[in-house]
Amino acid sequence: MKKTIVILIALLCMSTVFATGAKEFGPDESLEYIKGKGNLILGLDDSFPPMGYRDENNEIVGFDIDVAREVCSRLGVLLVLQPIDWNAKEQELATKQIDCIWNGFTVTEERKKILTFSESYVNNAQVVIVLNDSPYQTLDDLKGKTIGLQAGSSAAEALDDSPAFKSSIKGVVEFKDNLTALMDLEAGGCDGVVMDLLVANYAIKQSAKPMRILSQGLAQEEYAVGFRLGEEALANAVTNAMKAMVADGTMANIAEKWFGADITVIGK
Amino acid sequence: MGQIVLQLFQSLGQTFKVFVLTLVFSLPLGFVVAAGRMSRHKLISVPVNLFIMIMRGTPLILQLLFVYFAPFYLFGVSFPRFTACIVAFVLNYSSYFAEIYRGGLQSIDRGQHEACYVLGLNKFDEFFCVKLPQVIRIVLPSVGNEVVTLVKDTALAQTIGVAELFRAAQNASSRLFSVTPIFIAGIFYFIMNAIVSKSFDILEKRMARY
Repeated sequence: MKKTIVILIALLCMSTVFATGAKEFGPDESLEYIKGKGNLILGLDDSFPPMGYRDENNEIVGFDIDVAREVCSRLGVLLVLQPIDWNAKEQELATKQIDCIWNGFTVTEERKKILTFSESYVNNAQVVIVLNDSPYQTLDDLKGKTIGLQAGSSAAEALDDSPAFKSSIKGVVEFKDNLTALMDLEAGGCDGVVMDLLVANYAIKQSAKPMRILSQGLAQEEYAVGFRLGEEALANAVTNAMKAMVADGTMANIAEKWFGADITVIGK
Repeated sequence: MGQIVLQLFQSLGQTFKVFVLTLVFSLPLGFVVAAGRMSRHKLISVPVNLFIMIMRGTPLILQLLFVYFAPFYLFGVSFPRFTACIVAFVLNYSSYFAEIYRGGLQSIDRGQHEACYVLGLNKFDEFFCVKLPQVIRIVLPSVGNEVVTLVKDTALAQTIGVAELFRAAQNASSRLFSVTPIFIAGIFYFIMNAIVSKSFDILEKRMARY
């Protein structure tokens, strides 16, 4: 009996450690902190093309990486790329293992409560991918069907924000990554997959799989860089650097390289 | 295809490091834990028992997250990524090894202790020359089982951002949007475990004379 109590207390201690949430912040010294240590650690899920992923030489590349490298050189700090597990991103940031999340990171109301964002730099949408030969044309057609998506992604939140659609479908299956979700779609396990438009375009192009995107999307959304809550100074510095890049055309060049068109929205 | 194999090969080093370091530390530590578990002093055996219960009773993936993130909340500092990974693996595996060792140690008949006493062997000789070889022979199959599991468990290291084989395979998969890299990784794991199994077969044969 005594032993059981001790174990329960131990487990309780473990859980409270993880439950420690938002803390009080002192004056905002985020920019000095970054400049002081001379580097900005960028946390990313390195399996998120074309924003940030590993190329065939095992190098981390992508649109976000090119922009971040330029921003860092303008801030006079070194860019350090740190691959993380996407589900642990908030912990990684809060414990200062990384300094920002910069990886096609969608701004959502939920995330705004726990993070400070830079200004949005690219517009994105949550769309539904279906098989080419499926009869689905609109969201209504997916009534009573199963939807797949990546666990912890903004697709999950987009679905929550569309209660009418969510209640019309049969159920949601969550996968570790978008690829697994698409494989399940191909295998007939689910009828549609919700994901970011930019990623969906890349996925269909790269895999040459018989899939298409429904023209009716779930939600418009924006990509921005996420920082620890209250780190306005750092967020502003990054925003301003990006705006300067827009002004001198660097941003448009990088966008052309990755998307074939300048789809950025910051400073416009 | 060749490029995928080459890319996975590069990440194999990290997987191998996790595997070897975990064994190097947890195999001996298991003996210490087993000794603590069997200690007659309650002050030692009760906490050690609790440690084993927690390590075996919670998921390794949670322990990885705990070792990596908890120190920051408690003390404001944390281990480097890779160190945290090794610490979590070693703690977890040493508790499994400890229970295997305990089974081996307790299976040795008390009559042997008496025989050693009668023959005038000291405690050191009794343990290292009489008991230990038999214990090793008895525990080898179970230890082999754990080692095979460890090869596959290394894939959990990616939870705290350690770029091991499976992570590299998943990355290649999402770049190419194809499952081929994951299957190739599967073959890698299979080959590694074939080597481990074969090594334990040979070891078991050599130890059979005890």
